[in-house]
Amino acid sequence: MSDPGLFSAYVPGTSVVHRMPLWAKLVGVLAVGAMPWVTQSVWPLALVTALLAGIVLAARLPAHRIARSLHGLLPVLAVLLAFQWWSHDLPYAVRVVLGIVNAFVAAGVLTATTPVSDLLDGVVRAARPLRRVVDPEVVALTLGVVVRSVPWVAGSFSSVRESARARGLDRNPRAVLVPTVVHVVAFARSTGEALAARGLTDPADDALGSDRPGGADRTA
Amino acid sequence: MTEVRLDGATVTVPVDGSPGGRARTILGPVDLVLTQSRVTVIGANGSGKSTLLRLLNGLVTPTSGTVSVDGLDTVRHGARVRRRVAFAFTDPISQLVMPTGREDVELSLRRLHRSRTQRRVAAEQVLERFGMVRHADQSVYDLSGGERQLMALAAVLATEPGLLVLDEPTTLLDRRNTLRLRALLDSLPQSVVLATHDLDLALAADRSLVVDEGRVVFDGEPAAAVEHYIGLTDAP
Repeated sequence: MSDPGLFSAYVPGTSVVHRMPLWAKLVGVLAVGAMPWVTQSVWPLALVTALLAGIVLAARLPAHRIARSLHGLLPVLAVLLAFQWWSHDLPYAVRVVLGIVNAFVAAGVLTATTPVSDLLDGVVRAARPLRRVVDPEVVALTLGVVVRSVPWVAGSFSSVRESARARGLDRNPRAVLVPTVVHVVAFARSTGEALAARGLTDPADDALGSDRPGGADRTA
Repeated sequence: MTEVRLDGATVTVPVDGSPGGRARTILGPVDLVLTQSRVTVIGANGSGKSTLLRLLNGLVTPTSGTVSVDGLDTVRHGARVRRRVAFAFTDPISQLVMPTGREDVELSLRRLHRSRTQRRVAAEQVLERFGMVRHADQSVYDLSGGERQLMALAAVLATEPGLLVLDEPTTLLDRRNTLRLRALLDSLPQSVVLATHDLDLALAADRSLVVDEGRVVFDGEPAAAVEHYIGLTDAP
């Protein structure tokens, strides 16, 4: 799990992409994600792909991390391309696949050029109007944990696949998927326990002083 | 010094998974008052050590009886107890919930410092104190086992709790990192309660508890506790 891809840690830097305000990056990611719905042609999407390549170069992100991230996505993209070609036509299938690749890379550039703590601050600000419904800190924490968990899940899948291969079971999807799901559930449980132990899931007011009935977990 | 008090603390779990069904006692009843600076807990796998530790910061709450830290009940004042009691798990990778150590330390400090600038300065100071500045921006996956454990400790101690609870902190460490961790623990101003299978580490305490089949079967001097534990494990 030493090189988990684009969505792992922040890549420190001083590039123009790193220095862009968070809101601008978020608008960019949303715009890239919305492109497949607003265009009927492949060319604007291809242009966005080229633009993203330029952004990646400008941000000096390690090429191997992007390649590794996309490599993991390739089987899904291949199946999707084949299915969309069969059910619609080739230009449509290419549009769908390019749209996904662009959104994936744009989101990866966001996480690789923005410290998670800045992302959390941004999410807390954005979620503040909803504070009567949900604690903005919890929303931000959830996002942070998701970002941190992506490489773990990818690494777990890879280790399970290696184990299955060692037992000659690599062509059996159940031998890979079931243990991966079990690992992910165990990871989610231990992460939840770690968050609770650090008081990070306690309501902010409680952690700072006031009291409230109930502990983190009433079961052993 | 932090005072931990357990009065008849018992933890049961449902046998058949349903809350209304039969229950099995996995710990207790335990009556203890811990005031010493260094307390170690030893016992076989599945003896109830981890459950006992989890009671101390409210991660597990007693089914009956009470647990309090400095007079704060872990059920009624759970959040305040967790501000006083830091908890470190055996596997630090499940504890480091942010992509890098620096971000994880900053996460701990979010509630103490609302200002981003203050938080960054405070995090830098914590990382310096633990000698982890050069690893601060590395992915937590790229750290060695020892570095991860130190980073996890830096993160939970960033809020300066009064008590540090560690669940088998040296199990995944080699000898060099075990010694490094021991030196760090020795230097901490906090009270420490730790469960361990490392009998050398168990001896470096003011008081030791031996847990067996959900009960504290010995409570006293570390050397005598280790002898008692060896007697238990060597028995047929």
